[in-house]
Amino acid sequence: MRIRVLGNLAVLCATVALSYGMQVTKPHYADLTAPIPIDGAMNDTVRARSFAVRLDKVIFARQLKASQFGQEKLLTTSGLWVVATTSLTATGASTAVADGTWQGPTGLRYHQTERLGYRQDMPPHGVDPGLDKRGLFVFEVPSDQIRGARLLIAARQFGPLDAQARISLDALPTGADGQPSDILPEFDLDAAPGQTSQGQTPQGKT
Amino acid sequence: MSAVSTEPAVDPQAERKWRRGGLLALAILLPLTLAETSYDSVREWLHGEDLIARDVEFGQSVPFGGSGWKLADLRGGKAGRLPDHAFAVIATFTVTIGDPDLRKQWLGCKLMLTDAAGRRWLPDFISGVSLPEGAMNCAQAIFSGARKGDVITVGDTFIVPEDAVKTIRPAVGLGSERPWYLRFQRPPK
Repeated sequence: MRIRVLGNLAVLCATVALSYGMQVTKPHYADLTAPIPIDGAMNDTVRARSFAVRLDKVIFARQLKASQFGQEKLLTTSGLWVVATTSLTATGASTAVADGTWQGPTGLRYHQTERLGYRQDMPPHGVDPGLDKRGLFVFEVPSDQIRGARLLIAARQFGPLDAQARISLDALPTGADGQPSDILPEFDLDAAPGQTSQGQTPQGKT
Repeated sequence: MSAVSTEPAVDPQAERKWRRGGLLALAILLPLTLAETSYDSVREWLHGEDLIARDVEFGQSVPFGGSGWKLADLRGGKAGRLPDHAFAVIATFTVTIGDPDLRKQWLGCKLMLTDAAGRRWLPDFISGVSLPEGAMNCAQAIFSGARKGDVITVGDTFIVPEDAVKTIRPAVGLGSERPWYLRFQRPPK
């Protein structure tokens, strides 16, 4: 009789412990339905579900120059401007690639800037199958979020269980302090592609 | 003093029968619940996707979304400012209006091009390329005020890669007809 009571108590304790363990380790709903990452490196074509992306070039700058409605704007930041140039294409059907996120080495995420307003070379990028399209993603990030960062590209900002290209930026040359080796004082977004101000060489594909 | 049980004696046979009945009910009710809860989502998904093609011969007019659709023309070439290895394509349809409530029948109207590999292209704006005189795109047609019996030309411009040009076929999808869509044979050369 006593053994049976002890046995029942042991089963009860084990059930409580198991239930508590399951409760504290239960993933958040947002994590359960989070986008599915597809890893790749710079200059590799990363194939997501509805699009493929290749990160061609990353430029760092202290200031960003852009013209909007005929007026020139000079955008400053206490961190760094990151201009990521990508080549995008749709896999099966015409679609749009709208979401870019800079994920720092500690997991901090910086969504693409909204300070530039609407521009044709900014997201959302309309893409078609079989046709490569150049698309920019611009971020404003603290300078200590460069080394070990990753670029996340997805079709939509909230795409449950959709694919997300996760591009490792290990190839970016950084100094001992973790800052990029080449930082332009100013970058003109309206300069012809491939040209950078101050005559400096951008990092990445040459 | 002796205790007297007031509970009726349990028939082990009857209990087993109930248990089996419960398990059987579970096997039926679980799939039914799943079907019931997912019905709306599945229905919405089916009505939002162009999944099943209805092939249409060139020159044939078929009823679709309350109107008669016929491929009028499909032409392509290097025009406007296009990327390398890309072609501009214009597809136009002759549509005889049947049900004039186009806002309901043509909701989510989509003109597309498909190729042999199953890829799909949606309309694109091409600088320097415009639709033929009198032709309009889907959205313009919906708000054109077309009446029953009117014959209108609906079309759009597309950018397709060179390797798809030889096998592209125009297609039409309408909200009221999905998951079915029309896929037209190309005009003979």
